[in-house]
Amino acid sequence: MRPAKKSERKSVAEEIKEALVAPGSLKGEGRKEMLESFRAIRKKITEQYTVEDEFVTRFLQLKFLIEDYVSSDVFSDRYFFGYFLKEYISRQEKKNKEFAWEIDIDPAELSLVINRHRRPTDKLIFRLDIHSNKNFPAQLWFKVLEKDRAIELLQDSSIIDREKKHVKRKLSFSF
Amino acid sequence: MGVREVKSGISVVAVIERLALREFRTIRASRSFGFDWMQYRSLEVYKLKILPDNTIAGLICLIDHSVEAENAIEIECLEVSKENVGASKRFDGIAGSLIAFACRESFKRGHEGFVFLRPKTGLIQHYTEAYGFRHFPLKTVSRPEGIMVADGRAAANLIKLFLE
Repeated sequence: MRPAKKSERKSVAEEIKEALVAPGSLKGEGRKEMLESFRAIRKKITEQYTVEDEFVTRFLQLKFLIEDYVSSDVFSDRYFFGYFLKEYISRQEKKNKEFAWEIDIDPAELSLVINRHRRPTDKLIFRLDIHSNKNFPAQLWFKVLEKDRAIELLQDSSIIDREKKHVKRKLSFSF
Repeated sequence: MGVREVKSGISVVAVIERLALREFRTIRASRSFGFDWMQYRSLEVYKLKILPDNTIAGLICLIDHSVEAENAIEIECLEVSKENVGASKRFDGIAGSLIAFACRESFKRGHEGFVFLRPKTGLIQHYTEAYGFRHFPLKTVSRPEGIMVADGRAAANLIKLFLE
């Protein structure tokens, strides 16, 4: 076999880099030691975390949970605007009253929104956008709200039925 | 998503989704991937799909370590399709996007962004420079290459770079 030219060797190396196949740690010897070592490394790194690192970690988790919830087809009664807002506040280790003061909202209004007794106003959402330094933008909160609304309609058909008397004509066919 | 068409330099729309069971056979039949992904059909395997033609351009197998002391995602295997490797590749940023996805899953599942993998010999520098992984040379007879770890900071950077 002809030995590979220098340029060919380089090309093969580049291709391996791009393919990035890294199989094999699932099976084989040494896995137990590897996981033991990883535990020690992880502990050491985490010990060096600052308070800010810990906050960022908590908020990134919340943000990705919200993003995935609003983009999924799943409708869950457990997740709603107030649930995510409560998480946003508790992950800062703050009381509702303190947070209400920070965004200049009546604590009673905040409580009603968290407990699903009142819909959030646009004003509240815009202040969340500002408070979170745009890490949780208004668009994201509006998407949660839109999903809340869809769930309400799924659970209570009377919301639409109440408007029937106002519709004088409608399409005669259904898809 | 940080996937770009090499020729035009334009970003393309790509999604990462769980690989369905029936797709493992399709992957094998397509010959676009050199690795035998069938062996991972009982594990979490995700595909990077380029829209609108739904081409699968990359695969990644993740292992969720939820034990408190580990609390991390392990990248067991990652492969970019043959059409997207080398000088004539059509798309760029596939591996980075898949690794960033692993980091995002790590945050989402409460693992604080920790991701680790066993590097392929000779690629340690590449993982460090391109993706911010840190190398820990745990010299054992069977694993001379050690492991590479991305912590929360590196993970957050990768997500910003490839998924936003």
